[in-house]
Amino acid sequence: MRGALVLLGLGALAALAQGVLASWIPARLCPDLGLLVVVAIGLCLRSLVGGLLVASLLGYLTDLLSGSLLGQHALLRLLAYLAVRHGSRHLSLRSPFALGACVAALTAANALALVALTSFFTAGAAPDPWWLRDLAPQAVLNALVAPLAVRLADVAVAALGDEDPSRRTVRFDSRSWPA
Amino acid sequence: MWTLFEIRNGLRLAIVAVGLVAVALVSMVVDGRRVRGGGELSWWTGAALDVAAPVQRMMSTPVDAIHDLWVDYVDLVGVRRENDELRARLAGLSDENLQLREALVASGRLERIAEMREAFDVPMLPGELVGADASPWFRSVPIDRGRSQGVRSGMPVISEEGLVGLVRSTSRNASKAMLLVDRQAAVDGIIQRSRLRGIVRGLGGEELGFEFVARGADVEVGDVVITSGVGGVYPKGLRVGEIAAVADSDSPLLRTATLRPAVDFARLEQVFVMLRRGPTMELLHGSEEAAPASAPPAP
Repeated sequence: MRGALVLLGLGALAALAQGVLASWIPARLCPDLGLLVVVAIGLCLRSLVGGLLVASLLGYLTDLLSGSLLGQHALLRLLAYLAVRHGSRHLSLRSPFALGACVAALTAANALALVALTSFFTAGAAPDPWWLRDLAPQAVLNALVAPLAVRLADVAVAALGDEDPSRRTVRFDSRSWPA
Repeated sequence: MWTLFEIRNGLRLAIVAVGLVAVALVSMVVDGRRVRGGGELSWWTGAALDVAAPVQRMMSTPVDAIHDLWVDYVDLVGVRRENDELRARLAGLSDENLQLREALVASGRLERIAEMREAFDVPMLPGELVGADASPWFRSVPIDRGRSQGVRSGMPVISEEGLVGLVRSTSRNASKAMLLVDRQAAVDGIIQRSRLRGIVRGLGGEELGFEFVARGADVEVGDVVITSGVGGVYPKGLRVGEIAAVADSDSPLLRTATLRPAVDFARLEQVFVMLRRGPTMELLHGSEEAAPASAPPAP
């Protein structure tokens, strides 16, 4: 529980910091800190329900501080979190390469979903191919920063939270042999 | 084989996840209607924005200080050489200096603001930007002025350089303005020289797109684009930008030019909210929300 609160605080700080950073760095060169925190939550927080709630809340906070519709980022952060949780069961997302690839894919999916949702819910806003111009630098940047963000979240949870990130539940499926 | 515990746990998770997704979808539908219909934030989102705006400003302060320090350092590099040159020219410049000061005042910022106020005859409220968008995919900015100061959604936001954007939503003491460079932004513009009309679109970066009809088009690099007033959102004559490049196009109907915005959005700090909405926005949002007559005037 305390770990979820720590990551919620970290995510809120990241959302505010993103706004400050964006004042000085061009948007396409600014990593999506909110998305990275959600990825970190998926890897560092053991409680699935807690993670769902925190990811959703952070999405709402991003919606409040950005020009998106309320709920847009909340939904996408939720889906990103579920994707990371699902992915971490099949892949070792602790390795920087796998994590980078996963985050790059998430960034692309996130951008495409934002385009689709905005054009669907906002009357007259047709999908614009220019939206995708910033995709490649964003994906690369997020992939590079992701291991650092996860490490930071690990340290924060270990120092302030009540769960040890090095002790995660691992599911073993026993193989059944034919009689 | 799944155990009862796993099934119960999975069911609980599914309920939470589906519930959260449903809440997010409902929020989007409701917010989409709000943006189209009124633009005023609900009390709780407004309160959150009111809390976030000063926190964001507090966080910006040290970053701004570091940035200023860096700029000062960069300025200092080479100052010795420049100083020697300036010393040599100092004697000859003393007379010219007086004339330049006069010219500077005449063409300065306050002069331009005063001219704009006269030209548009609309009360303007000065405001400051307290941060930037929390998502890299959108370009909106929080402003430290809200409903209590007379700001309403749909009001144009300008600076002394030109058009900045449009107020999209407001809370009691803060508001969010969609910048002209946002991908959702579009303005009906006109080239000042040739009177050719077109649509200015935000591209999400630092430049704008200008779409115009190809037939008989007279567009040159350096042409100034101003708002046409058509559409009833922005008043006519606001400076939007300058044509930077005209793209070759195979399309016989439409062509696109790159537009350099008149406003330097990276350095934007102070803006003015025009405290009167255009007729379209007035129809859209309702006249009962009109700004109070006692709104403070621009300095």
